[in-house]
Amino acid sequence: MKTRILTFTLSIFLCAAARAELKWEQTTADLHPAIGDKQAVAHFKYQNVGTTPVHFKSVHASCGCTAAQSQKEQVAPGEKGEVTATFSIGDRTGQQVKTVTVQTDDPNPTQATTILTLRAMIGTPFEIKPTFVYWQSGEEPKPKTVVVKASKDFPAKNLTVKSNSQVFTAKVEPAGAGEWKIEIQPKETSHPTATALMIQSDFPKEAPRSFYVNAQVNPPVNVPANAVATPAKNPAGPAQQ
Amino acid sequence: MRWRLRRRTRPVQRNNEIFVSGHWLRQAAVLVLFALVPAIGEAIYFRDKVSWQSPIPASELVTVDQARAWGDSSIWVDARPDEEFARGHVTGAVSLNEDRWNELLPQFLPKWSPDKKVVVYCSAQSCNVAREVAKRLRDEAQLKDGEGKNCVFVLQGGWEEWLKKNR
Amino acid sequence: MKIFWPVFATILAAVAVIALIATRKITFWRIVDLIVGGIFIYAGVVKALDPIQFGIDIDNYKTLPWFISVRLAFYLPWLEIFCGLALIFRFLYRGGLSILAALTAVFIVATIAAKVRGLDITCGCFGHASKNWSFSTHLALDLAILVALVALSFRVASGNRPQNAV
Repeated sequence: MKTRILTFTLSIFLCAAARAELKWEQTTADLHPAIGDKQAVAHFKYQNVGTTPVHFKSVHASCGCTAAQSQKEQVAPGEKGEVTATFSIGDRTGQQVKTVTVQTDDPNPTQATTILTLRAMIGTPFEIKPTFVYWQSGEEPKPKTVVVKASKDFPAKNLTVKSNSQVFTAKVEPAGAGEWKIEIQPKETSHPTATALMIQSDFPKEAPRSFYVNAQVNPPVNVPANAVATPAKNPAGPAQQ
Repeated sequence: MRWRLRRRTRPVQRNNEIFVSGHWLRQAAVLVLFALVPAIGEAIYFRDKVSWQSPIPASELVTVDQARAWGDSSIWVDARPDEEFARGHVTGAVSLNEDRWNELLPQFLPKWSPDKKVVVYCSAQSCNVAREVAKRLRDEAQLKDGEGKNCVFVLQGGWEEWLKKNR
Repeated sequence: MKIFWPVFATILAAVAVIALIATRKITFWRIVDLIVGGIFIYAGVVKALDPIQFGIDIDNYKTLPWFISVRLAFYLPWLEIFCGLALIFRFLYRGGLSILAALTAVFIVATIAAKVRGLDITCGCFGHASKNWSFSTHLALDLAILVALVALSFRVASGNRPQNAV
């Protein structure tokens, strides 16, 4: 028990002693970009608390979608600055974690490298399950359902669906507060075809958000035919695709 | 050693412990061993779903050789950013990255059918991008093979491994 | 998982009822036993349900090789469950207490070490349900649990309670 307390206390002191020459205000940034934002920017502020200038050897991000740079290359003692990390959200959703590795010329190897973490929770206006429905060629053209749930900060009341395709029809049915069921059905499944159905919401009024659900009829598969009537024939059947 | 254990054992008449079985070390050992039983049971249950040697679940990873053996029944997906794709990619691979997911997904989907296995790759094993794209294909687009099983795989070794095997 | 509070409360309540019935009396320390035991059982169950994710969480600490992390991910939750049960039912009590104290202390050290190294960990002590908690929340809770365990061990070591207490 005593040794456990000792190791525990010791580790706390070790943490306190490990202060880099470059002192960071924080090394983790939690960002909450609004729905529709294209970028999330984190500012990692630092100060040179040592007695010698610090030189940045490299600042680079873990992912191509994050651009990171330091305001200055050389930081004099006492000087402050910041490293800006710009995360281009793209079409990402959910909890995103990106890191930026900063390398300085600090002679102490453990303090020379700092890892800055950028955490961003990307909200989506809708949760769509699934975003893709498909039928096999020759499969019975039964309807398939897509469930759409609006997130709490997206008070859409109405969804309408538009289909540009001759083959696919879609119906929207409300299924409770902020929830809808979209039933998609192909007229027939004899020909391979693909389309994107546009679902339009009514929020925000100025520029209502829309999203797409993909639907397609897949081309026939090359299977040894149980379907082919004459087993004496070449089981691959007529050439496909 | 028994005398030492004896000495540290508390008198049996304790008011508040329902069962006493001696030294705490022995009790701890019993617990440690007991816990192994369900743990091993669970490990057996999950034995095919876990990658016991490397950090990605075995059923999700595929080697370059395996993927190439699939030939025409596979469709390759490049999860890297556009610039990297433009610089060079696996012959016939489709670009599908998270920067332009909404735009690229409808271009990828018509090329897929349940008889095709999807091989997603990115740069280097430690890169998460391929796994993220694979995950979205499984969770959002719910791609499955004809038997309802997983058909989206991540290329072990990534782009670099493919390059090595194609020199 | 938003089922944290209701499930935890139910487990705790059920256990409290059993204990009250069994002993017809209940003291503060017995409640501490039940709460701490309950926490570990809950934490163990959450992790036992998704050992793959737990293996990834352990691996994020980058202190153990994957080979060990994945095996530990299957074992540790059950150890927690059994020790939590030991605490609640006072069966193999001291053994359970010492194992849990050791686990908590090691875990606190590992968490601080990871933080110092700048690693991003989403913990994993309470499964992915707790992944949005901050570092300080996690640390505070773990320290509180460690303090409770240490206090319970001192009670055991000091030969224990007066005759009528439970």
